[in-house]
Order: sequence, then structure tokens, then C-alpha cells
Amino acid sequence: MNYQPSDFLPIFVQLAAAMGFIVFTMIVTHILGPRRSTKLKDEAFECGIESQGDARTPISIKYFLVAILFVLFDIEIVFMYPWAVNFKQLSWTGFWEMAVFMGLLLAGFVYVIKKGILKWEK
Amino acid sequence: MEVSNYWYFLSGLTLLSALMVVLSKNPIHSVLYLVFTFFCISGHYVLLNAQFLMAVNIIVYAGAIMVLFLFVIMMFDLKKNIPDSKTNLTKLAGTVVAGSVLVILVAAFRTIQYPTPDESTFNPNNGMVENLGKVLYSEYLLPFELVTVLFFVAMVGSVMLGKREVGDRNF
Amino acid sequence: MTPVIALSLFGIINLFLGFTFKRQSLQVVTLLFIICSMALTAMDWNHEYLWFGDMMKTNNLSINFSLIIQLAGLLVVAFSNGFGKDEVYTQPAEYYAILLFSLVGALLMVSFQNLIMLFVGLEILSVAMYVLTGSDKRNLRSNEAALKYFLMGSFATGFLLFGIALVYGSTRSLYISGILYNLSHTAPESLPSFLYAGIILMGIGLLFKISAAPFHFWTPDVYEGAPTIFTMFMSTVVKTAGFAAIYHILDVTFGGFQKNWIITVYFITIITLILGNISAAYQQSAKRMLAFSSISHAGYMLLTVCANQPSTSSNILYYSLAYTLATAVSFAVLMVVAEYQTGRTEKPENFDALNGLAKNNPSLAFAFTVALLSLAGIPLTAGFWGKFFVFTDMFNKNLTYPIIIAVLMSAVGIYYYFKGIISVYFNSGEIEKIETSFLFKIALWSACIGTLVLGIYPTLLKSIF
Repeated sequence: MNYQPSDFLPIFVQLAAAMGFIVFTMIVTHILGPRRSTKLKDEAFECGIESQGDARTPISIKYFLVAILFVLFDIEIVFMYPWAVNFKQLSWTGFWEMAVFMGLLLAGFVYVIKKGILKWEK
Repeated sequence: MEVSNYWYFLSGLTLLSALMVVLSKNPIHSVLYLVFTFFCISGHYVLLNAQFLMAVNIIVYAGAIMVLFLFVIMMFDLKKNIPDSKTNLTKLAGTVVAGSVLVILVAAFRTIQYPTPDESTFNPNNGMVENLGKVLYSEYLLPFELVTVLFFVAMVGSVMLGKREVGDRNF
Repeated sequence: MTPVIALSLFGIINLFLGFTFKRQSLQVVTLLFIICSMALTAMDWNHEYLWFGDMMKTNNLSINFSLIIQLAGLLVVAFSNGFGKDEVYTQPAEYYAILLFSLVGALLMVSFQNLIMLFVGLEILSVAMYVLTGSDKRNLRSNEAALKYFLMGSFATGFLLFGIALVYGSTRSLYISGILYNLSHTAPESLPSFLYAGIILMGIGLLFKISAAPFHFWTPDVYEGAPTIFTMFMSTVVKTAGFAAIYHILDVTFGGFQKNWIITVYFITIITLILGNISAAYQQSAKRMLAFSSISHAGYMLLTVCANQPSTSSNILYYSLAYTLATAVSFAVLMVVAEYQTGRTEKPENFDALNGLAKNNPSLAFAFTVALLSLAGIPLTAGFWGKFFVFTDMFNKNLTYPIIIAVLMSAVGIYYYFKGIISVYFNSGEIEKIETSFLFKIALWSACIGTLVLGIYPTLLKSIF
């Protein structure tokens, strides 16, 4: 199975087509639509109430923890790709190797659950 | 089009988006340009026939790590944190240092003789997922299993540092 | 290899034990785990094994390094008092688990045969240290220290990885045996020039971790900001593992290319000695002084790496052991005094906070004095013999300038180490009797007695090393 980089050309053509569509639409709407901006029209809509200050408040850290744990388990999934492609050749040895890997990460997952980090509401 | 035309185009795109990461005023724009830079680097990996690396780069780097970056940038109110502009002397010093590094690098790359790969052992399909998997799970088994220890350190560390304490404000 | 597997499993077990056990029992359990893995390490004495197809090698040298590293871990766990002083904000199960995992990383760094194993071990050790440095969440200094260490440490790992890539590109092999074979079988003129760049970059990445100048700027802030118990771990384990890795890379793998890297490391050694000692003399805070003294000790150990004699490995081992025992004791005494003084003085880690320790705490004062004398290199302590062996190596190589500078800087060292001894014994201050746990006393006295015994009878361990 001899793969060449030119096998990836269709993907880039599709990417270019998608980007081209986006760029085309944005340019056309900006050219065709009227441009009228006054101070009143540019304010954020709050049902008639005057907006005060900034909309940003501190974010709870539980969202960030979910994202971090996602990264860790994403890397585990990435390690499973070469194993899955060579499943037959790696036979039982490879199966037990991957089982050890997944078992250890499962232990980590059980630890995280028992710690209560992923509990969403307090 | 031959390969070198693709390479020039891709490198130009990479450098342009990397420059825009540094030069754009809005931090969200920087992150988006960084994602585009990662896609261009993955394109370079395709040209080097490293198929698995391209997929992993996009999934892990552009997919997961950039999300973390966006989280952090969202959490800060960055209008208040515009850093003071550096003095002209500092900017000049920085330019001189970086410029001299560039000159040294260009001079070094022009005089290097690149060794050619060994004809008998060279396999152009080394970067493909099957071949990588065959080597990873046979020869490099020990580092693969030890990466679980690194995952544990990261998990325990993030749990420890991110746990809600008694007395913290919760939103 | 068995201690690596054992320590990883013990770390995971520790995490789950943390849900049910109390703090003091966790400390005892962790001590037992480390003692068990030390026994597993010592079982392979006088056998040479290659594991997993030349990925790791276990021989007497790596067993000695592993035992010193695990001894340092044992001392840290013994001095930690189960983190019992602060019931709410500390999580001892997690701390002990991360300590055990970082011991795994250190063990990989001392017994590697493949550059990938060096990288994995270094990363495990470093990431564990970043987490532990920042573990005191309410202290702003701890957050600053963790961020500095993380940013600069990741950059240094990036340099190391770039060096590994360049070395692989020029020698076509990642195994140390493969690199040695390929390098000896190619003519020197046909070696690509980026091999030398790769060697220097790998050296830079590793020299950062042992805080050699000019890569030492992170050390004072990180050592000062981290909780003292983890500073003790960082300055003993990370340095020993880093020096084992530097010895394997610079002296063993690229020893034949010494004329390429010797000038760089030579000047780095001289600058490290000068900067470390002179900056330490200016410090008011005892913890920062100990951080700069660790930089200067890295300079002394680099002297023997430069010399590259047959006795280099045993001298590095001896110096690491002497330095580990002395640093552990000094940080331990500093820790208890700083805890005692926290409500009472503004800066509980300065030399002034140690005033009058000898009146009510004679054992702590004596241990601190012995540790500082060993660090200064006064005879009858292990530190003296460490410095003596290092200087002998340099003499045998006929490199005299670094020895002159090292001796002059040792004299400077006597000034700031004796500042501690003077404030403990000769200044007056009010410190009541500090209660320490039984394990703390055992660890303190055994480290103290070890320093004195090794100072009087160095061949006890030098013959084994």
C-alpha cells in the first residue's frame, strides 16, 4: 500500500471550496447590504433597559476542568488509532498491552469520578 | 504543479498566519490564526508523508488544546490588561538579537551538507498509521505504557489544583 | 525495571487509599512503599539487565543512583509530617501519589538507554514538579513559582527535544549503543554539522534542569515560592536525576566529542560557581540562600562532568549523596522553624527567624549546623570528601583555572553558611521548644549521622560506588 501525499488533494479541494463559499457570502453581504450604523443602533439589545458595565463575570472552573480531562482522554483515543488499524497483526499480545493501558487510564477515571470533580450542580 | 510549488504556497501561508498571531490586536483573532497555523503545519506533515502525525496534530492540537486556550482567554477581561508599550531601546535591542539569530540560522542552513538517507533501510511509508502502529506496539512498548504515569500526574494535578475549596466563591 | 512498575502501582494505590485512610497512616504507608521499592532495586545488585530490547539498562551504577533518589524520597516523606498541620487545604494522598510518580520519572532518567526514555522520564519528573510547586493555592508566591517553572521548564524540554531530533538525524539511531556504534564507524569529516548543534542543545535542555548558569534564573523564585517540603524534593531528586542524565549524555554517549562541548560546559561551570556563590552571599532569606547554594553545588558537580575521568560516575554519586543528606536536613529544620515563626515574625524564612534556636532545641540546632558544615565542605563531613573527589578529578585532567575559582568560591560559601550557624548558636532570640514527630526525629538523626559517618569514613560507600 503505497500512499502518496497527492492522495490528499481531494481534501484540500473540498477545504478550498468550503472556505471559498464562506468568503464569497461574506463579501457579497457586505457589498449588497446597506451600511447604516448609528450610536443607538450599535448598542446591545437588552429589552429597553440601559446596559451598564461589562458583560464578563468570572467563570466557574468546572468547565475548564472538563476541558482538561477531555484533552487527556483525547490523547488516549489517539493512541488507540494505530492499534485499531493493526488489530489483526498485533493479535493477543497487542490486545493485552492495550488492555493494560486502558485499565490504568480507567483507574484514573474512577479516581476523578470519586473525587467529585465532574459533579455539575452543587 | 510539482511538489515544491505546493510547499512554497503552504510555507507562505504558515508564515503569514503565524505573523498574524503575533500582530493581531484582538486575542481571539490570535487564537483563530493559531488554529489556522496548525492546519498549515499539518499540511506540511502531509507533504512529508507523515499521515498519522497530521491527524494527531489536528485532533489534539487544533481540537483540544486550542479549546483550552480559548477558555482561558474568555475568562479574562482583556481590555484592562493591555501591556505598556516597550521603550524604543528595548524594541531596537530585540530586533538586533532576533535579526542576528536569523542571520546565523540562514548562514548555517546554507553551508550544511544534508546526508542522504540509507537506501536499504529507507521506507517512504514510515509515517503511515499501520507502520507506525507496528513499531509503536512492539519496539516502543515501554515508553507507551509509561505515558500512563504521565497521564496520572496530569489528572491528579488538575484535580488537585482545580478542586473547589471551602470558602471559594462559586458561580 | 521492577521498582518502576512497583512505584507506579503504589502511586495509584495511594490515590485510592486517600479516600479511606487518615493522614498519618498515609505517610507510613508511603514510607513502606518506598522502602519496598528500594528493596526491589537492591535485589538486582551485580547483575546487568537490558529491559524491553535495550530501552533501559540496570547495572550497578543505575542501582546506586536509584537508591540515592529513593533515599531522598524517603527523607522527604519522613519530614512531611503527613501534612497534618493544615487539615483543610492540603490533600496528602495526592501529594504522596505525585511524589511516587515523580520518583518513577527520576528512575527512568538514571537508567535510560534510549533517548525517548530520557524524554519521557524528564517529562514525568518535570510535570510532577510543576504541579507540586503550585500546590499551595492560597499563596501568591507559590502560583508565581509554578508558572515560572512551568513556562521555562517546558521551553527547556523543547530544546532537549530539538537536540534529540538533530542527534537522531545525524546518527540514525535513538539508542545510546546505536549512536556510539554509528559515530565510531563514520569518518569525522562526513559527520553532519548539525550533530554538534544537537549535542549542545541537549546539553542546554539538561543543564536547565540542574539550574546551571546562565539557565539558573528560575531557581531562586521557584525554590522560594514552593512549599518547603517540595523544595527539598526538588533540590535533591531533580538534581541527582539531572546529573545522572548529563553524565550519560555528555560523558558516556558523546565523550568522544569532548572537544566540541567542553568549552561551553567549562564556561558554564565557571559562571555557575561565581554567580551561585556570590548571589548567595547577598541573601537575607535562608530559603533563597539555600536555592543559590544549590546552584553553586551544581557548579561543583559540573566540574567532574567536564573532567570526564573514569572515576566521574562514582564522584557524582558520592557528591549527590552528601548533598542530598545535607540539603534535606537544612530544609527540614528551616521548615519547622518557619512554621513556628509564621504568626510571630514578618519573614519566617529569614536568618533572623533562626535566632536563638539552640537554647530550647539543641538537636535541631546541631543537625542544622552539621548540614551547613557539610554543604560548606568543612572536614569531618561528607561534603568535604565530595568536594575533594571533584577537585581531584579536575587535577587529574590538568584543568587548573576552574579549581582555583572553585576553591575561592568555597571560601565565599563559608561566609553565607556560617551566617546560619551564627544565628542559630550565637544570636539571641526567643524560640520555644518545637514539637516534632517521631519519624521526623528519626529521619533528622539518621541523615545527620550519615553525613558524619561518611565524612569520617568515606571508603565505606566509595568502594561500592
